[in-house]
Amino acid sequence: MIVTLLLAVAISTPPQGQPLSGPALDQRTQEVASLLRCPVCQGMSVADSPSTVAQDMKHQVRDMLSKGYTQEQILSYFEKSYGQFVLEKPKNPLVWILPILILIIGAVVVATTAKKLSAEPTAATADPEPATDPYVEQVRKLVNHD
Amino acid sequence: MNRTVLIVGIAITLALVAVLFLGLGKDPTAIDSPLVGKPAPPFVLKSVNTSETIDINQLRGKPVVVNFWATWCGPCFQEHPVLVENARVIPNVQFVGVVFNDTADKINAFLHQNGSSYPTLLDEQGKTAIEYGVGGVPETFFINRKGIIVAKYVGPMSTEVLQANVAKAMTE
Repeated sequence: MIVTLLLAVAISTPPQGQPLSGPALDQRTQEVASLLRCPVCQGMSVADSPSTVAQDMKHQVRDMLSKGYTQEQILSYFEKSYGQFVLEKPKNPLVWILPILILIIGAVVVATTAKKLSAEPTAATADPEPATDPYVEQVRKLVNHD
Repeated sequence: MNRTVLIVGIAITLALVAVLFLGLGKDPTAIDSPLVGKPAPPFVLKSVNTSETIDINQLRGKPVVVNFWATWCGPCFQEHPVLVENARVIPNVQFVGVVFNDTADKINAFLHQNGSSYPTLLDEQGKTAIEYGVGGVPETFFINRKGIIVAKYVGPMSTEVLQANVAKAMTE
């Protein structure tokens, strides 16, 4: 009873879904737990981790689903305690967009630079040595004499 | 053109070096708690060693140190004497131990062997630990007089670390 009251205080909103039981509860527990990251594991979800903390969290997910809390309410409840770190799919879209954006900007910069560099005349073509350059003539003469 | 490329290259390199440099002093396992600066999650738990029930909300008005631990945790064993001693010598600060994934018998045996100077509460099914975002033990929360969490420490504390955080809870 005390735990239920404290849970209601912690979530601050009443359950907004249908209480689940039986196989539906088992399936949803697995689904929602797979959206939570185990805080003590390397790259494992709460659904997959055998650690005691993850087991407690999974039990809590099951408990909340059986009371009618929705997936969003449950994820928000865990996020409140553990931060966004606990979410397997971060809510901030920048996490997904930024790497792609940086990749595109990088590709554009490389392509533009390459295009401009290839368009620039090379030293040989831009400033061809005049055939009558006295210095070149002198060198040719020296080479030919050798 | 070459100058522009050079400037852009230097800017990117400097930004990367700055980011890496800022990360040097950080503990990669430490994750900032979203609870710091927020009211401590409420809990009402039974003590295994003093037979009383502790309601965290009833402790408002004085700083509180909430230490999550377990008898199967090695670093907790190392930290325990620091907590017991400081709870004895620091006046007007309430120390509370919260044990999860454990049994009352094992906790009492541990306390009998290693001493105790404050209530130790049993968190069945780890619900309170989840409310506090506890990943592993030991983890300690420092709560000020207004019931706001002012600091969280992950791992076994030395006396210096404990007293520095208690000072924070007393002043903030």
